[in-house]
Amino acid sequence: MLKEHIEAVPVTVRLVVNGDLVEVTTLPNRTLLEIVREDLALTGSKEGCGTGDCGACTMIVDDKPVTSCLVLAPSADGKTVRTVEGVAKDGQLHPVQQAIVECGGTQCGFCTPGFVMSAVYLLENNNNPTEHEIRVGISGNLCRCTGYMKIVDAVALAAKRMRGD
Amino acid sequence: MTELQVVGKSLPRLEGPDKVTGRTVYAADIHLPGMLHAKILRSPYAHAKIANIDTSRAKALPGVRAVTTAADLPAGDRDQAIRSHVVLAEGEVFFHGQPVAAVAADRVDIAEAALDLITVEYEPLPAVLDVETAIDPSSPLTRLPLGDVERVEEGGHVTVEVENFDDVGPKRSANVTNRLHFMRGDIKAGFRDADFVVEGRFDAGMVHQAYLEPQVCVADYDPTGRLTVWAPTQGQFFQRSEIARILGLPVSKVRYVSTEVGGGFGAKVAPLVQPLVGVLSMKTKRPVKLVLTRREDLTVAVPAPSAVVWCKFGATKDGRLTTIEARVIFDAGAFPSGPVVGAAMMLPASYTFQNLDIEGLEVITNKVSCGAYRAPGVPEVIFAIEQLVDQICRESGFDQIAFRRDNAVREGDLMPNGRPWPRIGLVECLDALERSELWQTRGSSNGANPRGVGVAIGGWLGGMQPASSLVRLNDNGTFSVIVGSNDISGSNTSFAMIAAEVLGVPLSMVEALTADTDSAPWAGMAAGSKTTYSGGKSVQGAAEDAKRQIVAIAARELDTNPEDIVLEGGVAKVLGTDKAIPFSRIASLSTGFGGRYGPVLGRGGNDVIRNQAPGFTAQAVEVEVDSATGQITVTRVAAAQDVGKAINWMSVMGQLEGGVVQGLGMGLTEEMLYDDQGRLRNPTFLDYRLLTSLDVPNIEGILVEVPSPEGPFGARIVGEPSIIAGSAALANAVHEATGIRMHRVPLTPDRIVEALAARTALSTVVLSHG
Repeated sequence: MLKEHIEAVPVTVRLVVNGDLVEVTTLPNRTLLEIVREDLALTGSKEGCGTGDCGACTMIVDDKPVTSCLVLAPSADGKTVRTVEGVAKDGQLHPVQQAIVECGGTQCGFCTPGFVMSAVYLLENNNNPTEHEIRVGISGNLCRCTGYMKIVDAVALAAKRMRGD
Repeated sequence: MTELQVVGKSLPRLEGPDKVTGRTVYAADIHLPGMLHAKILRSPYAHAKIANIDTSRAKALPGVRAVTTAADLPAGDRDQAIRSHVVLAEGEVFFHGQPVAAVAADRVDIAEAALDLITVEYEPLPAVLDVETAIDPSSPLTRLPLGDVERVEEGGHVTVEVENFDDVGPKRSANVTNRLHFMRGDIKAGFRDADFVVEGRFDAGMVHQAYLEPQVCVADYDPTGRLTVWAPTQGQFFQRSEIARILGLPVSKVRYVSTEVGGGFGAKVAPLVQPLVGVLSMKTKRPVKLVLTRREDLTVAVPAPSAVVWCKFGATKDGRLTTIEARVIFDAGAFPSGPVVGAAMMLPASYTFQNLDIEGLEVITNKVSCGAYRAPGVPEVIFAIEQLVDQICRESGFDQIAFRRDNAVREGDLMPNGRPWPRIGLVECLDALERSELWQTRGSSNGANPRGVGVAIGGWLGGMQPASSLVRLNDNGTFSVIVGSNDISGSNTSFAMIAAEVLGVPLSMVEALTADTDSAPWAGMAAGSKTTYSGGKSVQGAAEDAKRQIVAIAARELDTNPEDIVLEGGVAKVLGTDKAIPFSRIASLSTGFGGRYGPVLGRGGNDVIRNQAPGFTAQAVEVEVDSATGQITVTRVAAAQDVGKAINWMSVMGQLEGGVVQGLGMGLTEEMLYDDQGRLRNPTFLDYRLLTSLDVPNIEGILVEVPSPEGPFGARIVGEPSIIAGSAALANAVHEATGIRMHRVPLTPDRIVEALAARTALSTVVLSHG
């Protein structure tokens, strides 16, 4: 098994990341999270558990939020990927990001990029979520510092602003 | 007294924008040229002798640059009784997962493959896995007796002066590595004269701090013999000294650059992987990075110890708590590291007992050794005592809040160690809780399942440690606050606020940063809730020093006396006139070519905090219990905490909410479960279950402000008290809802169902005899 591993053949993966077409050549057993963090130097997405339980690695892939630590790099070929680095536009924070800052929804910050992606996805698909819908929408993201309240408040505030209320 | 302009407001943390955009750098994000990747080979046994290690095949694997065992460690000053000093096992392993060898390789997967090529011959030894067995004099030893143990980290969390009574107590095994015992009054007489006596045994499971950022370190040993370490830490100076000592390097040859801490809660105070990564870099002369997997982190970091608490107390029929006898035993794992001192102190500390006899024991077993977790040891003892208080109230008809308030400690009452309490706000917290919406409307709503409300209180003494700081006037008239403390709670934003307040400038003119150990003024650990308390005081001093220097320059320039100068909005003015000089001008006069004055640099830290400012909390939890499934739903929470003065309201409330949810997690779902070989059965976030956004309701957080005598603007310790009361309040709420008294925490559904069934069986038996 060891010999086969060392002699594994690299594959070339082509994908669109935050609007840019990129090409990464990698051993096939690496994950989307690894190639984004290491090969593309986009370190905003984090590995909190490596087993899809904490959500710190959340990216939006072909319009669905995924735990990128469980996506093998070869299966990202041909996909469109959005990471936290692609959320702010033209130097302006996205309303979700702005609201998290204003409401105190980030403390240590390690879980924050994952929450940003889950919240962006939620609000792009439901522009007037109830508190319960917000809590469901972020229930795949673990936070150990905040107790979630200020994150929920932030998402509600962002939704309000995005609706133009 | 002039109204505060900045301190006391609710302001977002200055680092917020970096965090929401993913720009903040954590140690795992660091890449250095030529960097190698490390992996650790770990013991598969809880206790074994190491007969032989053969690393030759691993060393031969292409891409492997170093394979180290204990034989390769540099000569250093390492104490085998201190976990962080035992970089790699020397001849014997004491817990499952203990590091035995390490590999540095070009790629992570090569390092992993190399682990499979290291052959270790073990001779398994009996593993001591249970505290009560371990105490017995006939028990096998967890390890050979350790003698006097140097407790390097303990004082950073809590400062307690205790006169330890020298009575040796019953004969116990050498596995008992610490014993604390204090007494006052006469417990025999106290129990004899009491009208109500309650007693019980309570067990709290081992829990993990479960910070989202796994432990990690990058180290680089350069050709001049300097070791630079990049890692998250709650105490960069402490770690620098320890690493230097462990690796036999002069302190001046170790530079610690603290990276952003992705959650610590006490677990990132002492070095964990840093010395080992340092060794690998020293061997390879290349930068080396080690990132623990979540499985590794849950298995072999420094979790909070499990505890067995036995407690008995007596009260009179007019509602006075008079007498308490208690013993708390902590399972410290394989290294002496239990929170015996703080926990034994805080167990009876909320109430004015005349007679008390408290014993605390630390026992070592063949499990991973423990570390600090937010108010170490206190949630576990509060789980016991607050349920017994709840029981007394229910049996005698006392109101839960009124009874606690009548017996609550106040300033001047005696602490368990006989010293008087300084000014504290326990009573004020109870008052605030009584006024809370939850308490005022309790019992008014009911779902399909029975509901109950439970109350619990507790406190934490906190630590004290000197801290120095600098406030520098920059050439554009803005200020930099430079500290050596690590920001785990928004303390740097609070420091900036304190400096802004003193200097009379808006927050936008102040930045606060933590410099590395080469350039930072010395600071203690960000532990013991003392960062804003002690560090903030130092920053206040530094800002006042800078203010004096600015005033002196302004007075010379404006040809007046210093007493006539006021600072307002970035300008120094002569009172009652138009004569003014902006800070930017003062800066250029003191930094530019031909400048007449020395640069303005305020230094703080002379005014050292001499006394603790303990923080108390009073909390109430409302639950709904599904008797068929045992599922507990937390419907409402109210938590009051005395913070002295909230420097930054938003930050302080965030600490309260986070701590409350951690306390609820301890109460509901979190426990590390071991098999009979001493192996952790649930080393993933799937099975070590943290609470999610769906598990917790909104929290009615109430900040109480009883100013501390010495803290900056009256602030007192903040970070820890909020975790203390959650599991006890939960258990009391479950009792009200269902009548069952839970003696073991967490209150998992299976335990609830079992307890309900046992109670039904009991009443069935009673009925059948009737």
